Amino acid sequence: MEKDININFFRPVGDFMTKDVTRKKIVLVIWAVATFGFLLLLVAMGDPNVTTQVTLNTGEVVTQVAGKSFLTETRFLGFPFHYWYSSQFCILLFIFLCWWYCKFIDKLEAEHSK
Amino acid sequence: MKRIMQSGLSLFFILMASNVFAAENLSLNDGKVRVFPAILMISLLILFILVGVFSKAKDTEDYWAAGRGVGQLGGGMAIASNWMSAASYLGMAGLIYLKGYFALSYVLGWTGGYVLLLVLMAGQIRRYGKYTAPDFVGDRYYSTTARLMSALIVILISFVYAVGQYKGIGMMFNWIFGINYEISVIVGTGVVLAYVLISGMLGATKNMQVQYVVIVITFLLPLFFIANKLGYFSAVPQIGYGATVWDIGHGGNGITAAAADASYYLPFAKYTAYHWFALCITLMLGTAGLPHVIGRFYLVPRVSDARWQVVWGLFCIALVYWTAPCYAAFAKFSNLSGTIGVTISADAIVVNAAELAGLPEWFAGFLAAGGVSAAFSTVGGLLMAGSAAFAHDIYFRVMNPNATEESKMKVARIGTIILGASIAIVAMNPPALIGQITAVAFSLGANTFFPLFLLGLWWSRTTKEAAIVGMVVGLSVTFGAMLLPKTSILAYYVPFTSSAVVGVPAVLITMIVVSLMTKEPSAEIKELLYKVHNDEA
Repeated sequence: MEKDININFFRPVGDFMTKDVTRKKIVLVIWAVATFGFLLLLVAMGDPNVTTQVTLNTGEVVTQVAGKSFLTETRFLGFPFHYWYSSQFCILLFIFLCWWYCKFIDKLEAEHSK
Repeated sequence: MKRIMQSGLSLFFILMASNVFAAENLSLNDGKVRVFPAILMISLLILFILVGVFSKAKDTEDYWAAGRGVGQLGGGMAIASNWMSAASYLGMAGLIYLKGYFALSYVLGWTGGYVLLLVLMAGQIRRYGKYTAPDFVGDRYYSTTARLMSALIVILISFVYAVGQYKGIGMMFNWIFGINYEISVIVGTGVVLAYVLISGMLGATKNMQVQYVVIVITFLLPLFFIANKLGYFSAVPQIGYGATVWDIGHGGNGITAAAADASYYLPFAKYTAYHWFALCITLMLGTAGLPHVIGRFYLVPRVSDARWQVVWGLFCIALVYWTAPCYAAFAKFSNLSGTIGVTISADAIVVNAAELAGLPEWFAGFLAAGGVSAAFSTVGGLLMAGSAAFAHDIYFRVMNPNATEESKMKVARIGTIILGASIAIVAMNPPALIGQITAVAFSLGANTFFPLFLLGLWWSRTTKEAAIVGMVVGLSVTFGAMLLPKTSILAYYVPFTSSAVVGVPAVLITMIVVSLMTKEPSAEIKELLYKVHNDEA
């Protein structure tokens, strides 16, 4: 029987690639939720009564919700919480994700004597 | 083919030179030589050239791939300094100063992309075992046309990216030496070319490590004094500035509640969540698609090292990225408390922050010299990538396969000079803020190389026709977004800095559809890709 040599991220072949792809998916989900999920949370929590006037590039002036919420008004280490989260915590999380994945794949490669 | 390339290039030149975006303050200093900063700057330049000379490249193999012998931390530092350009050092703080929370998407985009790069690309690219990005494209997509096009895109990316760096060099030379901006750009070009030509990439790799140390020290040191002077927690200013951000938004520490500017910290005070997302995802995908970044993975002997380099690189980068928003906040704070007598320009806000805080001149000098170092290390890498694309992928692979080592080397050097000089011409009249110009380079990388690598590595059905059509679509979206009238509704949804939010999905869909419509790649191509993912037979 002929071996399946087609590579597809969503249909991994072989034990090594299957395990690797599973971990990759977990890392990517955490990455996406931490970055863009938090953005959605900021939007969802924004106080609809606090608005600002913004002039668009088309010249139109619109009123939009500024996004004030308990996330922006809680202090953490002196910061507004969301500001700390975006400017410091996320980067730390990215480094952790990379470290975590590297540890995992090194071990997996050793098991498969790569 | 040649025709298309030529007209594309001239369109591009017109676009870059037309200066449609902004007129701003490029001159910070008229005629005064700042003595300490000047001495510091000149000593650093001499140091870089000496390091380059003592680690000189011996043959072409060295010139491009630095003998493949760089350690993990060393490699990480080189990645970081190659990565951190004037856009990180000068541009990012300037954008945060102007745009507040919105500009944190630059900080996140330029770090979060490394997760993608590591997980989806680094190991597989290293296992594929090619020298340059066009080499990969040419072999994986079994097509000379694809190789040529991708080589051209590499040159374009290097070009756009370097324009922003030259602007940074010009502004800092102007601040330090008091010579005018245009002459500063020319002087800067000369020095960069000198050391790239002398040393090649082996010198450049050593240099990058030295430059990383210079960047970090000059960037972190003045901050303690600024924080102290303004009355914030200065032992760890990266935490101390949190209170500054709070005071800017709510009043405090001398700022009255009436003078406070809440738009600095409120997330959607100036832009929408969509724009934040669009910019952030563009920079992230661009990070995973920049040829001069991907190129660093060929330098390491083992696959595992290629990956650990990313972790170290990201850590080295983070030290600076945790710090950049501090400068923006301190400058904004001084500004609100009404400090006067300093010529401010957004792209020089890091230097201005030290001046605004009323510190002695040599603090600002430190920062100016560091900013130039950051620009230098990146321009070095970009010129290398651009000239390698020219000499290796266009000249050697396509035009003259029998070329000798010497003639390849000569072509690489000529390519470097032409590229360096033409960048200087465009940089004379910079089209936008440093961070924005750089973001365009990222859009270009994201719209072209990211899908090529992603599908090329992870879907063996992707065909050469798909690759070629994909590149055309990617280029059209990137340059289309630049050509859109500034006031159109389309330009609102597809900003020229963030075109990948539309471009990448468009290119991916196009490539998948075209692949399914065309003939499957041969068994050898699939066999090779299978081995990249599964070594055991």
